Amino acid sequence: MVIGAGIAGIEASLLLSKAGRKVYLVEKCSFVGGTVVKFENVFPNMECATCMLAPRQQDLLQDRNIELLTLAQVAQVGTSPEGFTVQICKRARYVDILACIGCGTCYEPCPVSAPNEFEMGLSQSKAISIPCVGALPNVPVIDKERCVRFAGKDCRACKDACALDAINLDQKDEMLELRVGAIIVATGFDTWNVGQIPRYGYGRHSDIYDALEFERLFASNGPTEGRIVLRSGRTPRSAALVHCVGREEKGYCSAVCCLYLLKFSHYLKSKISDVKINEFYTDFCIPGKSHQRFFERMVKGDINLIRASRLEVDDCDNGLVVRYDTGGGKRNECVVDMVILAPPMQPRRDTPQLAKILGISLDDKGFFVKGVASSVSSSRSGIYVVGCAQGPKSIEESVAEAQAAVADILSSSRSGGL
Amino acid sequence: MTKRIGVFICECGTNISDKIDINKVIEEVASLEDVVVAESAKLLCSPEGRISLEKRIKQEALTHLVVAACSPRDHQQTFMSVCKRAGMNPYLLQLVNIREQCAWITEDSARATEKAIRMIRTAISRVRYHVRLEKREIVVNSDVLVVGGGIAGIEISLMLACPDRTVYLVEKSTILGGMARRFERVFPGMDKYSEVLETKIGRVLEHQNIRVLTASDLEQIIGFYGNFEARVRCKIEGEVTRNLNVGAVVLTIGSQPSDPSGIEKYGYGEIDNVLTALEFEEMNRSGQIALCNGSLPTSVAIVHCVGREEKGYCSEVCCMYALKFARYLRERVPYAKVSLLYSEMCIPGKTYQRFCEETLGDNVKLVRSSNVRVWEKDEGKAVSYLDEGGAEQTLIVDMVILAPAIEPTSDARRIAEIAGIPLSIDGFFAEQHEKLGPVATSKEGVFIAGCAQGPKSISDTLVQADAAAGLILSSLVPGRRMEVEAETSQILESFCQGCRSCISVCSYGAITFDERMKVARVNEVICRGCGNCAASCPSGAASIRHSTCDQIYQEITEATR
Repeated sequence: MVIGAGIAGIEASLLLSKAGRKVYLVEKCSFVGGTVVKFENVFPNMECATCMLAPRQQDLLQDRNIELLTLAQVAQVGTSPEGFTVQICKRARYVDILACIGCGTCYEPCPVSAPNEFEMGLSQSKAISIPCVGALPNVPVIDKERCVRFAGKDCRACKDACALDAINLDQKDEMLELRVGAIIVATGFDTWNVGQIPRYGYGRHSDIYDALEFERLFASNGPTEGRIVLRSGRTPRSAALVHCVGREEKGYCSAVCCLYLLKFSHYLKSKISDVKINEFYTDFCIPGKSHQRFFERMVKGDINLIRASRLEVDDCDNGLVVRYDTGGGKRNECVVDMVILAPPMQPRRDTPQLAKILGISLDDKGFFVKGVASSVSSSRSGIYVVGCAQGPKSIEESVAEAQAAVADILSSSRSGGL
Repeated sequence: MTKRIGVFICECGTNISDKIDINKVIEEVASLEDVVVAESAKLLCSPEGRISLEKRIKQEALTHLVVAACSPRDHQQTFMSVCKRAGMNPYLLQLVNIREQCAWITEDSARATEKAIRMIRTAISRVRYHVRLEKREIVVNSDVLVVGGGIAGIEISLMLACPDRTVYLVEKSTILGGMARRFERVFPGMDKYSEVLETKIGRVLEHQNIRVLTASDLEQIIGFYGNFEARVRCKIEGEVTRNLNVGAVVLTIGSQPSDPSGIEKYGYGEIDNVLTALEFEEMNRSGQIALCNGSLPTSVAIVHCVGREEKGYCSEVCCMYALKFARYLRERVPYAKVSLLYSEMCIPGKTYQRFCEETLGDNVKLVRSSNVRVWEKDEGKAVSYLDEGGAEQTLIVDMVILAPAIEPTSDARRIAEIAGIPLSIDGFFAEQHEKLGPVATSKEGVFIAGCAQGPKSISDTLVQADAAAGLILSSLVPGRRMEVEAETSQILESFCQGCRSCISVCSYGAITFDERMKVARVNEVICRGCGNCAASCPSGAASIRHSTCDQIYQEITEATR
């Protein structure tokens, strides 16, 4: 069983299937791809993230050895002679995944409109919807919390609109029992809500975005179809990109922020050629053979690199004012239209609960702890942790860990070898 | 044989039929030459749709099939398997995308219908020239060659070796262990690494299914994934060469620290008590940290990023091992003042920052600096640098440790050429894909892991080693047969003039030159059917089986009629 259908979970599932194993891929959301599907491009080659991911998603959906369980969560794990007995709670989608062709006709008549969570609330969505164009499986889901039918009204607008009779409003949540020999935990990360550090002004002033919101703002399949605009509708003339937000509070470096903020400056320049960019950083962390070249390529334009500390953001007449200490201990400030904050990566909110169910330990930062048996082992034999569930890391490191977990499962040299 | 072409048009619920007049399309194409069936279906990809399509292929004894529906990315495989089940060669199918490329983008209904008719006619003209293609199978060799006996090579060998799989571990030097052998402790746990390493080496040497070839060098690799032949020369035993048959090759030849004597400002090789990181590691491992005159150092400067500017990349581990050195010093020379002259602290991940914080203290200070130079002054060594404000500062110390950039080993280029893989701009082995393929290479069956791919820590190296093992374990299964792509290129010997232009454009190394017959030959197991050779061949000898000149010509003629 693989928990989490992000980039690491998909990689592990495909490889195990290739080796002839039956794989249950358990995904909490209605779609696969994890956090990476929210990105427009990936550093350092600025490759289109969707194009990079789509072939893997396709392979996954067509793979006969992989049983993809979307809207599913692990409820209980017990031991059995072969390994583990797992209870899965699979929420109803209310749409038949085989009958639906993803045409989207059902969204129109839905009377509900609410902030789209996938788009970080930057757009509205209906109670029946797919999170964004291109999400896979291309099948909508009914959000029970929002649908008026589940609030007692007799609405069947979506069902009436569907030409294929794919909508089943009577579908029930199910409990499934799986017997598996090994478990890979690939549940990814959350970003910390930077509103919790008041001095950055997030949530209090408009036009302050966190990194994932900005990704969606730039995404061609996002709420503005890739137009970078202020809440007023105006194009920003200047932006401040803030590194290491919350690093001090968390006590660790999130490993990828320096690089993705450089990517963001490229995003901004590509859409608004004369935009003024100020990057506020503490230490540039750009390890490895290819990232410094990326850095040099990105800062070649006129990006203002400012080493800053004690940074705070406030409202002012002309937009937002960023105040900071420079290296020499002097207080300085600059006024910008838009502020983008790089929040720390942190464990998924439900990590403690999942750790308890799986019987594995967490470290002092709340991530799953690395065991001693191998690079990707957990504190319990037969359970492996890969990707950002184990700590902040890049896509390539997550993929390598997924491949490593597959080796642990397939190799007869490990005690976990099955 | 007479051709019996079937045309099936999918309404895709209402996705296609809303825009395109299906009846008109059927009417237009039904009368075309060789078309014996022209029908529509509500949803061809559904279980019912597939069953009825299979039935109709059999009933009408169709020889060729045109399906007008959605993108091949969605359902090419679906309809190919319907063909297979109906007993028809799946390469006699042509899928026409009248959904994404017509119904969804053409505004006007009449024009969309006309366009769909034209697209289907084009496909009919093409499919007539399709030929049966067969996928072939070969038996794989599941043995593996690992080149480089450092921690990565050791890890991979132990992961892969089993009664059905022999691993050949080739090491250039006379002992296993590589670079890690020289470290007393490793960050961030500060564990004694030699014990871990010796245990692993012991397991390798005792393993029934690992053949260790020390003092040996790789000379040649030919073949393809599942079937390579490698030649290895052993430098002792009187220069013996051995041919090894393996299914996959993993290159784990590591890296080396660059020589800082090339950069004058650090005074390395000129000034006493200026050491490289590796020299300091060895001094520490010998049990005593001391100056040339035998006395203990009282102040030490560790210079980060030596050669980073010249190399153009960050070596990833220097900040961390500089902190580790500060801990060595704290243990052995507790009163020594240690200054870490860094430019940017690179301590990514959940554990490194704590390691840094726990290392710093009264005697260990971080000094942000640029333009560092080392020179001799009466009292000792002077280290000058520009501070954050740009002012020049000078530190007087009695020992300087340089952290030089990590670079590819001197034989990286030669090994890459032998294995047929490219190098990245810095001379490290290039991975197949920066994000999704960190340990695969552009040559299928050749894998890389560890510092040969780029500077990295021991833990990252072990992850990569396991990752390479994972890729091999999942696809190179003992006893399994490998399916070989049917959509490949072919070169007709009688037409080939031997100009070799195809060899120069082949991205996969699939074409070789037969010196005796003076013709180019395609290895169909390696060929991916990209068509570069067919496009470049001046004499028309090279073609691709799934897009022949006839097929393309008929397609274009009909489309532009």
